[in-house]
Amino acid sequence: MTSAPHSPFRLESLYACALRLYPRAFREAYCVAMRQTFRDAVHDSTLSRRAFIPLVLRDLITSLAKEHLAMLRDTFARPALIFNALVLAGFATILALALYAIPQQLLRRGADDPQVEMADNLTWQLEQGVAPTDAVPAGTVDLAHSLSPFLIAYDDQGNSLASQARLNGQTPTLPQSLLEDVRQRGQDRITWRPGEAIRFAAVIQRVNGAHPGFVLAGRSLREEGARQKAVRQMAAIAWAAMLALILVGSVAFGWYTRPKTA
Amino acid sequence: MATETAPAAPLTPAVFAILLSLAEGEKSGSPPTGPGRWGGKHGYLIMKDARAPQGGGVRLGPGTLYGSLDRMMRDGLVEESGISDDERRRYYRLTHLGHSVLAVELARLDAAVASARSLGFLPHRGRS
Repeated sequence: MTSAPHSPFRLESLYACALRLYPRAFREAYCVAMRQTFRDAVHDSTLSRRAFIPLVLRDLITSLAKEHLAMLRDTFARPALIFNALVLAGFATILALALYAIPQQLLRRGADDPQVEMADNLTWQLEQGVAPTDAVPAGTVDLAHSLSPFLIAYDDQGNSLASQARLNGQTPTLPQSLLEDVRQRGQDRITWRPGEAIRFAAVIQRVNGAHPGFVLAGRSLREEGARQKAVRQMAAIAWAAMLALILVGSVAFGWYTRPKTA
Repeated sequence: MATETAPAAPLTPAVFAILLSLAEGEKSGSPPTGPGRWGGKHGYLIMKDARAPQGGGVRLGPGTLYGSLDRMMRDGLVEESGISDDERRRYYRLTHLGHSVLAVELARLDAAVASARSLGFLPHRGRS
């Protein structure tokens, strides 16, 4: 004999199946009582089954969503879990910043190395009395396009005496404040931007002696910029990977240490 | 874990209806009654009370009912009485905090109704 679709037994069986959809802790705590409440309702002659079945369906949808959300909140929104994840994310962020900043600084400082030697040599020659036009090697470096290193000799007022560098047909000038700084410190290593989107690793050195002045040795930072971009991308990938690992670890830890009772 | 502070009013219709049903049961002393305190009401009795106009007219299903009872127990508003005529039924009753919260909510509703009445949105009732 088969039971009618709306027979109490059939309805209760269907409801018992639906109860399996609740989170385990909630189900273990209330499944028997909920089933009994459903049974009481089905057997209550004052309650219209036509009204009760849609009510139960609506209730299943809303309470399933609510209990699963509550379960997720209880599992993953625990302050200790969130605090640990935030601390780890903080460490990961500091580590990723270090992964970017340390190589970036090393690359930038390494970009000064040839110019330090070039500036030293030119300074020594000028201090020995060699004429700037003889001391600065012949040839022209177009700063807008070339990656070649270049030298410029300036007099004590910052006027160009001899130069390999040309930007828009002229030798670039240095700001007076920079010259004053070099006058006091003897040498300065800067990132020089004589034009739009052009950056150079420049070493400026004081020339003493009978004809005091300054020398500038520079080199384009275009290639170094590309290397810095690669370092930045690698640091970003490492950061994202660490955050993903922390997220997965926190979710797994939260799941295995979730409260076992409703 | 029960907390000692009442949840902020207003209560949800389900929570209010459950508190009202349990308060009504305690006052009327409806069965089952244990040797000491009142034994409480089981789920379907609460559902029936809530559905009635005097209980708030709230149509609760078993999922919403037990979900609400679970949270109310955690908030310390209700407790299981531990008394039952059937092991498949669980009986609940109000705690002191539950009584207080219901009283605060009723006072809030009473003030709102009085305000609506004074503004002419509700007819004035004669004193009996």
